[in-house]
Amino acid sequence: MSVQSIILKLQEYWADSGCYIASGYDSEVGAGTMTPDTFFRVLGKKPWKVAYWQPSRRPDDGRYAENPNRVQKHNQFQVILKPIPANGQQLYLRSLQYLGVDIRSHDIKFDEDNWASPSLGAWGVGWQIMCDGLEITQFTYFQQAGGIDLNPNSLEITYGIERLAAFLDVKSSIYDLEWGNKVSYADLKTEEERQFSIYNFEMANIDFLRNLYVQYRDEAIRLVEAGLYLPAFDYVLKCSHTFNILDARKAISVAERNSFMANMRNLSAQIAKKYLEDTEKGETNE
Amino acid sequence: MSDFLFELGIEEVPVHEIKNILEQLRSKFESKLREIPVGFKSLEIAATNKRFMIYFPNINGKADDIEEQVKGPSKKIAYDENNQPTIALQKFVEANNIKMSDLFEIKTPKGLYIAYEKKAEGKKTSEILKKLIPEILKELSFSKTMMWNKSRLPFVRPIKNILALFDNKLVEFEFAGIPASTLISGHTLLSDKPIKVNSFKDYCELLSKNFVIISEDERKKKIIDEIVEVEEEFHVHVEPDGSMLQDYIYNNEYPVLFSGEFDMKYLDLPSEIISTFMINEKKLLPVFDRDNNLVNIFVGVSNIPDENKNVVSGNERVIQATFEDAKFFWDNDRKEDFFALRENLHKVMFHESLGNFYEKTERLFALVDFLVKETGNESLAEDVKTAAILCKNDLVTRMVREFPSLQGIMGGLYLKEAGEREDVWKSVYYHYEPKGFSDTRLEYLGSGLLSIADKIDNISGFIFKGIKISSSKDPYGIRRDVNAIIKIVKDFKLDFDLVPLIKTAAGNFVKSGSKGDKTPDNPTLKIKKLFLSRIENIFKDSMRFRYDIVNAVLNNTESLYIYRAYLRAYEVTAMAQTESTQHLVSLHKRLKNIIKDAEPYEIHEERLIEKEEKILYEIFKESSPKIENLIRQKKYLSACSTILEMKPVIDDFFEKVLVMDKVRETRENRIALLQRLNSLLSQVADFSLIVE
Repeated sequence: MSVQSIILKLQEYWADSGCYIASGYDSEVGAGTMTPDTFFRVLGKKPWKVAYWQPSRRPDDGRYAENPNRVQKHNQFQVILKPIPANGQQLYLRSLQYLGVDIRSHDIKFDEDNWASPSLGAWGVGWQIMCDGLEITQFTYFQQAGGIDLNPNSLEITYGIERLAAFLDVKSSIYDLEWGNKVSYADLKTEEERQFSIYNFEMANIDFLRNLYVQYRDEAIRLVEAGLYLPAFDYVLKCSHTFNILDARKAISVAERNSFMANMRNLSAQIAKKYLEDTEKGETNE
Repeated sequence: MSDFLFELGIEEVPVHEIKNILEQLRSKFESKLREIPVGFKSLEIAATNKRFMIYFPNINGKADDIEEQVKGPSKKIAYDENNQPTIALQKFVEANNIKMSDLFEIKTPKGLYIAYEKKAEGKKTSEILKKLIPEILKELSFSKTMMWNKSRLPFVRPIKNILALFDNKLVEFEFAGIPASTLISGHTLLSDKPIKVNSFKDYCELLSKNFVIISEDERKKKIIDEIVEVEEEFHVHVEPDGSMLQDYIYNNEYPVLFSGEFDMKYLDLPSEIISTFMINEKKLLPVFDRDNNLVNIFVGVSNIPDENKNVVSGNERVIQATFEDAKFFWDNDRKEDFFALRENLHKVMFHESLGNFYEKTERLFALVDFLVKETGNESLAEDVKTAAILCKNDLVTRMVREFPSLQGIMGGLYLKEAGEREDVWKSVYYHYEPKGFSDTRLEYLGSGLLSIADKIDNISGFIFKGIKISSSKDPYGIRRDVNAIIKIVKDFKLDFDLVPLIKTAAGNFVKSGSKGDKTPDNPTLKIKKLFLSRIENIFKDSMRFRYDIVNAVLNNTESLYIYRAYLRAYEVTAMAQTESTQHLVSLHKRLKNIIKDAEPYEIHEERLIEKEEKILYEIFKESSPKIENLIRQKKYLSACSTILEMKPVIDDFFEKVLVMDKVRETRENRIALLQRLNSLLSQVADFSLIVE
């Protein structure tokens, strides 16, 4: 099955399950969790069901296009179900069946893996879902975002699209995948992975990025103070991505890492608080 | 007799929580049912990561009836002079809801009292369970909890179903918004519909029909048997690491072993890396040939039968990618100049306010320098000092950043690759070992010395910071480090005084000026006490020395020679059953009794008066250099027998000479003689503490 048909099928399945199908966010993010459709919407009381395809960047995971399934930019399919349905695991297994997986002949395991994003003040409890030894999905019961206890809690399902495709297509390398209609993954991605790996590990200008980080951070602070939590959040995302490149470049010491993290976490917490104040005002007016 | 079956169906519980939950369920059910009391003969308990089952095959249908005599007021108070009931008695009758005719008199030592026989019928067990089960479930504690539904109940993972059958009838209650029912679920993948259960027999049959092996022993046996099959088929051996086996047993309701192959070329990677990646990343076990070399085979455990070989081929693809990752780390780390990485340690904190790892390696350098001299191993100085400087460089390699458990090992391997001498790279490789007292023995003295230095630096740093440890709390593993040092000292027979080493190690932090609010007044003393308590503990619990002998050899002195204390405990134990020990014990008791509070005095030969004290002094003068020499050579048994050779003379002394003479000089002179004798004996042990 091609990558694009997996995305299409997942969109279809989750739309049928009551989700609104969003577009991925147009800013560099490390994971589907880091977009407004998840970060903000898991806060507060309002029910929310969304599914979207989100390209995600992890500079440190780059392998110069030489590793069969690790890349610095991969594709996630993100689902948020709020409140948590009682049959979440079943819904997930059915989505695999919808993709054509015979679940009776594959070793599908829910393996403890508690997800946390320190920079977003977010964490949850759950599993990585392994299929014949390959991690294809992260399944998380969201407990906190922006340092705020969630009530109701949300279920977050994050498929790793490349890995899912490699599994479905029985390929040992994602570069052997077909994206769709004869366009190959290798053709689309090899050069991108190679160049970005060189950039992330060797060429990124450390001083320039450090300056950028400070400017992004200050802008986020200014905006959150002005009550513009949405643009403020964009700048936190930029901070996060800049930090990730610096980290891949080994430019950050352990002590510095803690202060960067605390910095982003504080901003996320303020942003979450502003959002809640704002929406709860709206809810009572309605 | 009735029976009771309970199952808590739950989403995949982490393996490390399961034993703890099972134990809580068992003890809570047991103690609460005993308290009520509801009689039961036995109980069975079992778990997978998806269910916890308890079964009482023989339990009473109702709680025991209550029959007891309840004592009321005394007869004098209960009836007035006309033999009419008083208000006190009437109140007693009302309060207990009984009639006057229920009352009778009882005789007590205090006279006649009014009483009645209280009878209450025990409640039905099913009624009791209805209240008890939710109570028990609510009391369970977990290392990490979560919330998932409107009940807002913190629990380990979402509950799927609760089965509670008493005498095959549903016990109705609700917990966390989930009503008890007669439905359970089978295997996640191989059974898709809820299963209705009518009895325990049903339960067992339906589970096995639906691919759930509920017995842990059976699952374990199946896995082990299948491992043996693979071993025989390929003429190899597999060592299932304990925690992996637990993982396999609990994470698979229907465990099936599989084995696959990987490309030979990955065997070029160091075996430590291969094993770590297989186990930690992929939960697969490495396989070895008869000569203990890794082969290109792996085994793992699947939760389904692998008829189409999907599981094997999937894992074969995955392991290749994993090894590619390992190779990426290994190749990239080796491109760097490993020796130069030390500069990067400036940026890696050892611990907040305890400086960075660069500074730590400087301290380690000084500490091993001190240690090689103290232990008489100057010949190792150059290699161990080089190792001390380089041993933390691997903290900034990609491999160790990804797999912290490979620290030390990677440093050793990278140094080996860089052409460093064997004594250096092996010292680095093993310097985090041993992990405690019961761990395996280190092979190389060099790594032992570096390990002691690394650990005494940890201990001193954390004690200096005022970190408190207790039986349940030891976040930095200080106790483990102390135990490891004791182990190394004993294994390598390192005969040195620990106190100067502690002083040096703690002094490093004093010098650094990082004294904080919580820094103890005398860190050296605090660390020494910590060592004494751990030595005592290990001598008693792990080495099984008698507690009185341990106390006798750990008598408080300024110095702390761990290896000598061990030898003394060993030798005193060897002679503990003999008559000579009894003599030593009574002698030592007598000595201590006489000299207990006395100041130390000098012996003046000219002041010796009686014949017996003169003889004792002569013999003592002659024997004591011999005895001291024996003690120096750590021949404690011989030292004791030489002391005992003086016994007739000592006996004569005690018999004929009055120590507490009226004349002060005479008295003090005699005490001085006994003090010398006492100090000689105390160098072996405080025999007065030995229980005969």
